Amino acid sequence: MNPATFAVLAVVIGSVVLFGTATVLALGWAFRDGQFDNLDRGAASIFGPDEPVGEPTDAFPE
Amino acid sequence: MDRGMVIFVGALLTFSSSWLGLVLFPFWQLNGEQPYRKDAADDPYPLALQGTALAGQKVYQREGCMYCHSQQVRSEKFGNWWDEHGQERTGADVKRGWGQRRTVSRDYIYDRPTMLGTMRTGPDLANVGGRYSEAWQHAHTFNPRVFNDWSVMPSFPWLYRKEKVVGERSERALKLGREWTVDPGYRWRPSAGQWDAILRDQGEAITARFLSDPAHSTAAIDPGTADGKKRLLDFWLTTEEEGVQIVPTGEGEALVAYLLALRKAEVPLPEAKE
Amino acid sequence: MAPTAVTPEFDRERAAAERAGIDASCRGPVLYFAASAAFWLLVGSALALVASVKLHTPYFLTGIPEFTFGRARMAHLQAVSIGWTSMVTMGGCVWMMCRLCRTELIYPKLLFVSGTLWNVGTLLAVCGILLGGGQSVEWLDAPPYCPPFFIAGLGLVSAWVAATFRRRREPHVYVTQWYILAAVFWFPWLYTVAVFMIYWSPATGVVQPIVNWWFNHNFLGLWLTPVAVGTAYYLIPKIIGRPIHSYYLSITGFWALALFYSWAGMHHLIGGPIPAWLSTASTVGSVMMFIPVIAVGINHHMTMRNHFHRLKYSPALRFTVFGAIAYTWVSFQGSVESLKDFSEVAHFTHYTVAHAHLGAYGFVSMIYFGLYYYMIPRLTGREWASSRLIRVHFWCAAVGITIYFVGLSIGGWWQGRMMNNPDVPWGNIVVYLKPHFLSRTIAGVLMTVGHVAFAALLVMNLAGWGKKRTGGPTYFVEKT
Repeated sequence: MNPATFAVLAVVIGSVVLFGTATVLALGWAFRDGQFDNLDRGAASIFGPDEPVGEPTDAFPE
Repeated sequence: MDRGMVIFVGALLTFSSSWLGLVLFPFWQLNGEQPYRKDAADDPYPLALQGTALAGQKVYQREGCMYCHSQQVRSEKFGNWWDEHGQERTGADVKRGWGQRRTVSRDYIYDRPTMLGTMRTGPDLANVGGRYSEAWQHAHTFNPRVFNDWSVMPSFPWLYRKEKVVGERSERALKLGREWTVDPGYRWRPSAGQWDAILRDQGEAITARFLSDPAHSTAAIDPGTADGKKRLLDFWLTTEEEGVQIVPTGEGEALVAYLLALRKAEVPLPEAKE
Repeated sequence: MAPTAVTPEFDRERAAAERAGIDASCRGPVLYFAASAAFWLLVGSALALVASVKLHTPYFLTGIPEFTFGRARMAHLQAVSIGWTSMVTMGGCVWMMCRLCRTELIYPKLLFVSGTLWNVGTLLAVCGILLGGGQSVEWLDAPPYCPPFFIAGLGLVSAWVAATFRRRREPHVYVTQWYILAAVFWFPWLYTVAVFMIYWSPATGVVQPIVNWWFNHNFLGLWLTPVAVGTAYYLIPKIIGRPIHSYYLSITGFWALALFYSWAGMHHLIGGPIPAWLSTASTVGSVMMFIPVIAVGINHHMTMRNHFHRLKYSPALRFTVFGAIAYTWVSFQGSVESLKDFSEVAHFTHYTVAHAHLGAYGFVSMIYFGLYYYMIPRLTGREWASSRLIRVHFWCAAVGITIYFVGLSIGGWWQGRMMNNPDVPWGNIVVYLKPHFLSRTIAGVLMTVGHVAFAALLVMNLAGWGKKRTGGPTYFVEKT
């Protein structure tokens, strides 16, 4: 294996490990922090009393 | 997810991964590449463009030539087709004569910008300098349909100047019939009425010239008949316009100098072997 | 406030007043961005037509250097990428961010500076290219004096979006906000790095096209796509009055897009003089894009299920759903296109051009048209003046992009097959392509007609020709 290939491999594997670890840690934190609780509330957050769920808000003009 | 910081850090990490991998890494690997010399006495390859060729690159750049012409010859293992025996074969770029070998990163170290291109509405130009003469390039740039009537390449008449001949015709003048030069960039043909008027004025001279041309000298011609008129017109259109000439401007000379300097796929490089 | 006064009607009125107040706070700058974008769309369409006609009728406008094919093509791309799509993106980001944060825009007047910087920059770019300043760096053709305008304008928008986010009153961060936040962070970085490395510092040789394609693909992937997908995530549920089908899927989709899309791009240099591992890495990234695309596709489809009949009634929904479907299609196609065997034929052909237009027009622009049809009346307080013109716009755009895509995809594929065979003379390929080029011009004329209808509607609305809103929380009611 020539040095250039080795350097490429080292950095690729290094980045995979680095970013992989970061991802796993982030996901773990997210679960513990309750980021995945209450997803339905999140989905409904764009609605309000003036434009409630179940009421369309756009149509062709008359 | 209610925290902006999570999104920010996540966006930062994902994006830096690609920045590192696709930008910084190739930068480290390729940016310092040096020209090649077989031995200390050998000339280095490639050499940076200079003078008119360099000025021509600017013309190539501003006219957007690379949006139809790539500058890269691909591997002889790339791209398949089946020949008449049903045999699968590869490597059309080299077989089309676009270069003697594939191009590699070292061929481009002095290019700025590096116009690899991503479209081949026209053929590849990486090594076009080895394919055509200077005169061909000028006539073709002036109006590509001089050689190929199917061509959709633009004419570039603004890189040429139409001027009165003073004394001798210039050596640089394009050798083109009047159909190409009367209306630069277009292919001109007189209307029937115009042609009749021209024949009234100069009919005898044109006929005499037609008959003195070695290709026609034995053929009888009667300008009175429709067929004769047409044959005479076809001949007349291929003769040069009297008293005027088309010469390249400085930019026209520069562009062609650049095209002739494009020889990226000839000098053997060790890493280009397959 | 006395708690006894709180009734559902009172709540509703208060919420409507709050929403109207938020819309009013960002009205000026958002309309400025929207109107400028529409103007550049018209300019871009005209330049596109010039370039398109020239490919089958080369004597069209011959002799005018400003309109030669290469220059018109470069100017077209700047007009539609920087002028049209980017300006809608910025306007849309500001408006949606304010609404989703439930907070007013602060110092709205300063955003006029940003919009003006972009308009001046785009004007310099388009005119500069036509007059001979084009750079032949794909997607970054603007003369080098233009990027500072864009970077400064973009910086302002990003700062305003971030400031709005910091002032949010709504505790939940909706999926659209993630996409917007990420995009306004990614794009300035992406653009500055690309311009810096290509124009101001020594990226030499093939490093330039590498940086160039990293930028080009991420311009679509990390700037237009996130905001357009985010727009669909906001508009579709809002218009039909139904929360997004699976919020969990939308989270997966977001992170997968962030991770994988940024790695695609190098397959545009496949077979070229670059290290093979680069193309391979991008192929992996492109194929992994199946994950976020499937997530978004399922989510949008399941949200729309049983509500497709509303496409008949809502112009905004019609455009947005067309765009969302095109997103799924174009992304699937893109993943397949990145595979080496496929690329060996499709690369260097008009197949790629068809694909790019399905993405930038069929997907991004169509969703943005939907955004206009939803957003503008809520900002101006006027309904659209003519539903006939909206229909003209929709059908011209939809049929136009379909003809465009089909014609050039077929033409491009066979162009690639013929190019791979050295026994086929070059002239045969050009002759074969001409009718396909003609189909593109027909498609372009259709789309341009649609854009003129669209611009006319916008001008009428801004000039106050539409029916005035008569009060109530929603401006439109479904026909019964």
